[in-house]
Parts: sequence; C-alpha cells; structure tokens
Amino acid sequence: MTAEALYAVARDATPDASVDGSFETITIDIPAESWVAVAVALRDDATTSCRFFDWLSAYDAVERGLAVVARLWSVERRHGAVIRTHVPRSDGVVGSLTGVFAGAAWHERETFEMFGIGFDGHPDLRPLLLPEGFEGNPLRKEFVLASRVAKAWPGAKEPGESDADLAGAPPRRRRARPPGVPDSGTWGVG
Amino acid sequence: MSESLPPRSRGSIGLLEANCTSCMLCARECPDWCIYIDSHKETVPPPAAGGRAKVVHVLDRFAIDFALCMYCGICIEVCPFDALFWSPEFDYASSDVLGLTHERPQLRATMATVRSDL
Repeated sequence: MTAEALYAVARDATPDASVDGSFETITIDIPAESWVAVAVALRDDATTSCRFFDWLSAYDAVERGLAVVARLWSVERRHGAVIRTHVPRSDGVVGSLTGVFAGAAWHERETFEMFGIGFDGHPDLRPLLLPEGFEGNPLRKEFVLASRVAKAWPGAKEPGESDADLAGAPPRRRRARPPGVPDSGTWGVG
Repeated sequence: MSESLPPRSRGSIGLLEANCTSCMLCARECPDWCIYIDSHKETVPPPAAGGRAKVVHVLDRFAIDFALCMYCGICIEVCPFDALFWSPEFDYASSDVLGLTHERPQLRATMATVRSDL
C-alpha cells in the first residue's frame, strides 16, 4: 500500500516516473527537470508526508551518466522512497532541494565536489570536504586514485619472489594485475 | 589484559608461519594492499635415492601494516592453508606510524594470543 501511494504521488508530479522495486525501499526514477517537484509532492501530499530528508548523494552510472539519489522518509507513516535521476557526465545539473529541505545544503555541496554535479538554486555551492584548489571529482570512475599509482602492488610478486628479484628481473610474460585497478594507460582517460 | 575480551573480537591478526606457503593469495586479495611478503625458492633433495628433488618456497618476510589495515578479515578468509587468525589482542598503539607495521616476530607473538576455544 505505502509503496503504491509513494509512486502515485510521484506520478502525479511527473508522468515520466517509473519505479524500481528491487529492494524493500522503492526507488522512483524521475526526469531531472522534475527533481524538485517530486520532492515537494512527496513531502506535502497527505498520503506520503515524507517530511524527513535522510540523505542525498550520487553514483557514477557509467553509460547512463551520473545518477543523483535522495532518500525521503515519513516518520509518522514509517515509509519512504529513494528518488533517482540521471544527468549527463559533463555539465550535469539538477535543481537544488535546499528550498524543500534546508538540510540538503551540505549533501549537495558534497555531491557537487565529489561528482561535479551542479545544483541549480543552491545558495552557496562551495566544496565541503576537499581542500581549496583540488582538481577533479574523486568519486567519478575516471578519477585516478593517486595511492593506487604511487605505490607498487604488494601482490605483483609470485610465490618464491622477493622485491630484490623483481628489481633486477627482465619484464616477464604476464604479471598478475591488482584486482579492480585498470591497466595503466587506460585509466583516467574516460 | 586482565579483563576478558570476546574470543571472536577482531583486534589483530596472527601468523602461523608453519602453515604459510608464501602463495601470495592474502597479499593479492587485500583491498588495502597492506600485506607484504618476500620469499625465495629452495630445492629439497629427494628423501630416497631415485626420487625427485622438490622446490619449496621459503618465507623471508611477512608483514601487515596495521596503519592501513581495515580489519576486513579477507586475508584470513582467503588463506587456503589456515596460516592467518584473528586475535582479540588490540593493545598495540604506537606513537610512530612505522611501529604499526608488524613483522614476523610481532605476528608470531600475536599468534600466541589467538584463542583456541572458539
């Protein structure tokens, strides 16, 4: 019942809403231009009354661009939904929720610095955690982790090898690669 | 420690050197890249005449940098030879970050604190 109510209210705000019920908390996909309208509707509608803003963040959806997600919750109805929208990798912008939930300000500043997503209408979109002058958006897939480049992988050695063997050895067939770290030259290009 | 700690608490990691084959699996699976292993090959003569000589890996260095370790326990899970164990021993703070890299003597000492009553 509650999932239907949440979805119905989102549908009323934007006919393009679709629901992903893979998890217990439903995820409502909406177009970026309806982002603020759907949040307002879920907050104000008597059947949903999601007046608690839990969090807002994003993730790198690779081919689909960047996904912005926020979780809204109703304390009295004990239900909630995750709203999600996709924006392009370059110059992706979504409306700011600061006018709907003042507490969204910090979340949007963090999402801005970590992913480079703009929040239209945010009163003060400064970096929150990163030092001044920091270049890049660390939570994007193409961001090169300095610590994974600066340090040699301890697992590169084969059983029976030591650092000294590696130093003098000619480059051998195929060295084991660290899992999850792309080959050098293919990383950071994306 | 005078007070008893929960036997399964994840305080530190001990190495049972006799079981380690220097296979590198723990070092490769470690998400933090904080396990360092050096080893060399030695040829063991055949036990009886006519047998074949065997090549074995001999451990030279095994170190865990607890400044990087996030206590996920993947190294312990992944070890096929049961050479790594959780110890409840947590009391090894150091004023020098290098002091958190535990080499074989410390890992051996930690092994002595591993609870066998699980």
